[in-house]
Amino acid sequence: MTRDIWTMVWKEWREFRDQLLSLRRGGLSALILALILGVVAPVQLGPEWVHSKIIIGYWPFLAATMVSSLIADSVAGERERHTLETLLASRLPDAAILIGKIVAAVLYGLGFAVANMLIGLIAVNVAHRESAPILFGAQRFVVTIILTVLASLLMAGIGVFISLRASTVKQAQQTFGIAIIVLTMGPLLLFNALELDTRMRVAVRMAALGEDRAEAYAVGILSLLSVIVIGAALARFRRGKLVLD
Amino acid sequence: MAGEFAIRAESVTRDFGPVRALDALSLEVPKGIVFGFLGPNGAGKTTAIRVFLGLIEPSAGRAEVLGLDTRRDGAAIRTRCGALLEHPGLYERLSANDNLEFYGRAWHVPRRVRQERIRELLTRFGLWERRDDPVGRWSRGMKQKLSVARAVLHRPDLVFLDEPTSGLDPVATAGLREDLAALSAYEGVTVFLTTHNLNEAERLCAQVGVIRGGRLLAVGSPESLRARQDSGQVDIIARGLTSDVVQALRARTDVVASLSVDDGRLSVSLTAGASPAPIVALLVQHHVEVEEVRRARATLEDAFLDLMGSDTPSGDAPRGGDS
Repeated sequence: MTRDIWTMVWKEWREFRDQLLSLRRGGLSALILALILGVVAPVQLGPEWVHSKIIIGYWPFLAATMVSSLIADSVAGERERHTLETLLASRLPDAAILIGKIVAAVLYGLGFAVANMLIGLIAVNVAHRESAPILFGAQRFVVTIILTVLASLLMAGIGVFISLRASTVKQAQQTFGIAIIVLTMGPLLLFNALELDTRMRVAVRMAALGEDRAEAYAVGILSLLSVIVIGAALARFRRGKLVLD
Repeated sequence: MAGEFAIRAESVTRDFGPVRALDALSLEVPKGIVFGFLGPNGAGKTTAIRVFLGLIEPSAGRAEVLGLDTRRDGAAIRTRCGALLEHPGLYERLSANDNLEFYGRAWHVPRRVRQERIRELLTRFGLWERRDDPVGRWSRGMKQKLSVARAVLHRPDLVFLDEPTSGLDPVATAGLREDLAALSAYEGVTVFLTTHNLNEAERLCAQVGVIRGGRLLAVGSPESLRARQDSGQVDIIARGLTSDVVQALRARTDVVASLSVDDGRLSVSLTAGASPAPIVALLVQHHVEVEEVRRARATLEDAFLDLMGSDTPSGDAPRGGDS
């Protein structure tokens, strides 16, 4: 099973690579994104780019966004490009195909985030030279990586679910876009809909949580949601069903 | 019994809601042959392949592929089979080499063997020089060849080819047909081929099955299906035909049903099951110079069209073997 998963990861990465190497097919947009996020933003924000508490949510969001753009192409694209049935007619197990696609997308998102972190650190240290190098704290770095992986996993799981119901990549990406807006804006709108007293109480409790506990809650919630969504996607990803869809 | 047959279906029925795609399909495909599955669009050919590969379950009946139950052992069947389905199923952003490399890995073909096999197949199909090009830039014929190479990469025991020459120009069709014939001969695999192209079936297949509306109408060798349509008409061009000879021929009522003579051309309708040999012998005996004897043979297309026009299965035993 592990070997089959890595076979899928190998194939997905080959496709990502070829897509990235082609400027016309997405390489250029990735290059511009890397330049803005990895160089322009760190240079403008300076050391705050490394030490701000808000930045801990930035990397998971960045990775999840990258995953969302890939997973729709990876899953809905197999159907749109008529490669799915041939893949299903191979000896690869259903779970290996799906997990391979998720792992490939998550590794891509994580790789993109880490590459941006490194480029950003170089940019910020060059532009804002201090006596000591400007670096992330070890704990913050580990937590950021964990949150990045979990957010990517969750996004990949949601992406699979949406893509399995879409007949084209475009349709999947449109539905995914709406889902991301609902997932990010929904809690804020819900919070704003609460009475002022309630909002104040929630804000005070959140502030009282402390950084460590807030991170632990975030890890716990993302882990639980990822397990549920990916479990449901695995249950949905069945040959007999996919062939007939 | 299972050892003799690559595929064995017993009353396989498959419904999609109110639509019956396969209707009590019973079929035996011997190992090591090229079997052609003929039928119009929507006849149930692709559904049959999906059932045989264990991708979908039959609503009723059972099928065995390589001695394995399609309901229970789908994964094991797919491990031992290769397939070119309705679409080439190639990753067009990837090169030919990467496409084959991926499926070679998927089938756990050891690295060295995989590399040798990829080289062997791409060379055989004339694609080696273009192995690093993205497949999306290739012609349809080249893609079809690559798909066939992918289907046999892991040396399967049985290969399903769903309309392999569909949409190809005549030259590409002829080329691929030659490649398929060579593959079958060299690899020794059983090939289950669906096609609309009756000429292709006639040239490639040791046996063919004709399906329409999910029902198997006939199965047998192309010759046996053609023979069903034979009119028993023989045209003989000869010199020295006299009225006595014609009289003598008419007297052979055991062989001759009717005959006509027109400017040295003798057209004879044979009685059922009769051979033209006694007629030729009689002509020679009467010192007639026989220049040409031509039996008007039905084509597989005649047989196919006749079956498409009939409502009932042809032959008493629509199973493997000439019937």
